[in-house]
Parts: sequence; C-alpha cells; structure tokens
Amino acid sequence: MKRLLAITLGILTAIGGFVDIGDLVANGLVGARFGLSLAWVVIVGIGGICVYAEMCGRVAAISGRPVFDIVRERLGPRWGVTNLLASFLITFLTLTAEIGGVALALELASSVHYLLWVPLAAFAVWVVIWRVRFKRMEEIFGLLGLCLLAFGVAVWQLGPDWGALWTQATHPAPDGSEGWPTYAFWGIALFGAAMTPYEVFFFSSGGVEEHWSRRDLGTMRANVFIGFPLGGLLSLCIMAATAIVLLPRGVEVETLDQLVTPVTESLGKVGLAVVLIGIFAATFGAALETGLSCGYTVAQYFGWQWGKYVRPREASRFHVTVLLTILTGVLILCTTVDPVLVTEYSIVLSAAALPLTYLPILVVANDPDYLGEHTNGRFANTVGTVYLGIVLVASLAAIPLMIVTGAGG
Amino acid sequence: MSGGRAYDAHLHLLDRQIIDPDGRMVGKVDDVELAPDGEGGLYLAALLVGPAALGRRVGGRFGRLLVRLQGRGEPVRIPLEEVTEIGSAVRLGTRRPPPGSEHWIRDHVVARIPGASVESDE
Repeated sequence: MKRLLAITLGILTAIGGFVDIGDLVANGLVGARFGLSLAWVVIVGIGGICVYAEMCGRVAAISGRPVFDIVRERLGPRWGVTNLLASFLITFLTLTAEIGGVALALELASSVHYLLWVPLAAFAVWVVIWRVRFKRMEEIFGLLGLCLLAFGVAVWQLGPDWGALWTQATHPAPDGSEGWPTYAFWGIALFGAAMTPYEVFFFSSGGVEEHWSRRDLGTMRANVFIGFPLGGLLSLCIMAATAIVLLPRGVEVETLDQLVTPVTESLGKVGLAVVLIGIFAATFGAALETGLSCGYTVAQYFGWQWGKYVRPREASRFHVTVLLTILTGVLILCTTVDPVLVTEYSIVLSAAALPLTYLPILVVANDPDYLGEHTNGRFANTVGTVYLGIVLVASLAAIPLMIVTGAGG
Repeated sequence: MSGGRAYDAHLHLLDRQIIDPDGRMVGKVDDVELAPDGEGGLYLAALLVGPAALGRRVGGRFGRLLVRLQGRGEPVRIPLEEVTEIGSAVRLGTRRPPPGSEHWIRDHVVARIPGASVESDE
C-alpha cells in the first residue's frame, strides 16, 4: 500500500491525460467506430509521455524548476507568452469540460440535470484546491480513479473473441465504413490526449509541491513508468469494452450513459456503481489537475509565488488566478455548451501547441546548469528527438484534419 | 557576487526565477540594468523585476499592456550585490517584501476568504 501511495502523483496525472471527460468519451467512440485499430496510438502516446515526464520530473527533482519556468527561460518572453496563451487556453477549456464532466457523472448517478450540479461541482473543486493537502488530494482522486478498471473486468466478463480483437489491434487501418482522414483525426486526438501539455505542467509542479530532491529520482521514475502506463491501460480497457459491445451494433458513443453500457450489461448495477465512482474521481481529478495547471503556468511565467505547499495568502496571485479560471469556466458551462464537445476540440488544439512545450524540456534536460551530472543520456535523447518529430507532424496535421473531417464526424 | 566565472547574461540570467534565502519566489529576471564602469565598458548593475521591465522586452500589443499594468511604478530594482548564487535559479541573500500587486490582492481578496492563513490540512 505504501508503495502504491508513493506513485499517486503519476496515477493522477495520467488519469487527467488519458481518461478525463473528453478522453473517456473519445476512447469509447474510437472503440465503437474503429475497434482496436487505433490502440497502437495509445501505446505510442504512453511512450512519449513517459520519456518527457521523466525528463521534466528529473529537472524538477534536481533543480526545483517546473516546466513553465523552463519554457520561459528557453523560449524567452515572447515565444514564452505565445505558449502561455495557447497552453492556458487548452488547459482552461479542459477545466471547463471537467467541471461539466463531474456534473454529468453526478447526473448519471442522481438523475438530476447536470446544470444544477455545475455550481456545486465547481465549488467542490475550488475547496479542494484551496484547503486539501497536495499529497492527500492526489491519493484520494488517483486511487478512486482506478475504479475505471471495471471496464477491464467487463472486457474479461464479456468473454470476447480474443483472436478477433488481436486482429483489429494489429491492423492499423480504417475498415470499410471509415476513411483515412477520420482515422488520422482520431489518431491525432488520442496522441494529443496522451501527451497533453498540462500533464507535464502538473507532474513537474507536483514534484516541487512534494519537495522532491536528488534522493527522490527513484520515486519520480516509479511515478512515471507505472503511473502513465496505468492511465494508458484504462484508456485501452474502455476502447476494448466498446469495441466488443457497441461496434457490432453500430452504436456511436456520444454521451456517458452510452459509454457505460458495456459495464452495465456484463457486471450489472454493482459494476455501474463502481464505474460511476471511477468517472467521478477521474473527472474531478482532471479538474484539479487542469485548475491547478492554469495557476501554475501563469505564475511560473511571471515568476509569482505559487503552490499548495505555502499558505494561500502567501501565493495570492496564484490562488486568485485559479479562482477566476474556475468561475469563468462555470459561466461558460451556463451557456449549456456540451462539455464533451469542448474537450474534443481542446485535445486537437493541444496537439497543435505541443512542440512549444516539449522542445524546451528536451533542451534543458541536456543542460548541466540545471541537471549537473544527471543530463540526458543517449537513449533519452534519441527517443526524445524521435517523439519531438512525431509531435511536430501531429501538430501540423491537427488543425487541417479537424477542418477536413469536420472534427472527426 | 564574487569569483571569476563569466556569465552570459542572456543565457544564464535573463528569464530565470529569482528566489529569496527561504526559497520563496520573488519574480523573474525580466530585464537587467547595465552601468558604465568608467573604462568605456559596461557592467551588470542590477536585476529588474516587474511587468514594465518584461513588457519592454516582449514588445507588441501584449508588451504595451504589461507596461500599462505597471502604471507609474518603476520595475523593482535588485542590485547585483544582493545576489548570492546564479544557477537554475537566481538566489538572493536578503528577504524582500512581496511586490505591490501580490500585496494588494492578498489584502483585498485572498485574506478575506476563510482559511487563507492556515496550512492546507488533512
């Protein structure tokens, strides 16, 4: 148990990346439309986020500097602010959607319309950020989010044709009814979700919140190499569950209640209850991750005191930023915009902004000023460079593909 | 500062985080102030911190907005004598009061919310 509690930062960060409200639905949708033929993208994404989270975790542990410090320092104030605006917009849109997601999960459980839950959900998110200790926060929501493993249990219970699933997974191409552009669009959406920039903002800032030092490099790596693959596994379980149950019926997943049908059908009410807890914790956790990340990026760009490790009055500007961001999110949700749609756009936009975050990380991970003897080895540099190439291609293709396919329709 | 290591101001100083002796964040090195050394050269006299200093370097519409935010106030000037270490952060030897904006927001907003002065609890 103690070992598990040491890696909750990685788990919570990964949940925010792989199974937040937009990705929950996107994974379900991809499974129902493409089977497992896009599963490889999730695997590639896990590799990418692991390499870069390890680099920025190392920088945070050894120098105490989180990602946006590095962005500002290496890109300079002008490009830094471009990245700030892009990253903040994505993170803010995602936060908005997560608050809506928490409310949607509560609607599923209570049958009370989600808009009534929105103010309460937003207030709860703010209270946790204002009052609850960082470590406690990541333990509660990281571990409860693992309830989503019920999708994995459902896959097992359904007794699928494993050979057919394997065939889907090893044939990375769209089948009959789908074309290459939509296939590529959803591939980029999945990749963008896996490597979404607020994961590295949150992970590295979280390392500083937990006072990581040189001695914690082992803990940091355990967080990276267990936490992120676990998040990716949850994402694959959801995809497989909808591929088994919904693909043959030709049902498209657009809402949460469609998403949970494989679990309800195979595990009944108990399964549904567990999955609802998982969805609630995952969306709430992602709301915390994105809410804090909004504050982290702005504060770290301007050099303000930030963080939950000091009393709120000692990081006033940081806390006011978070508070205003949450309030604005609530206002946007009150326009009755569909929260799921909001994240699906923000995932693709985030793919377009990725290089501005990952390039500075790769550069600083080679800088002895920051890392002394712990700079990147040849392996990390090779893999990091390959992924930077992939990120660049994805970022250039993201917006044209969104326009051509009408956002994957 | 003493010792003979040469620093490239652009590479080692600009845009780095400034921290006080307790590790609390003071601001960024938004700009630097150069002064003539009397032999025809320039030396680094001080670090400049604040939106006006940053705005001048950013330029454009956003830069002008930052300069206007600062109002009539000048950027905070930290003489180089106060710097004790230049690494991944710039460490000062003395504590400094937080800048005006932090002060104002603390007194008028954050301090009025219950729990602002307590450590996060369980």
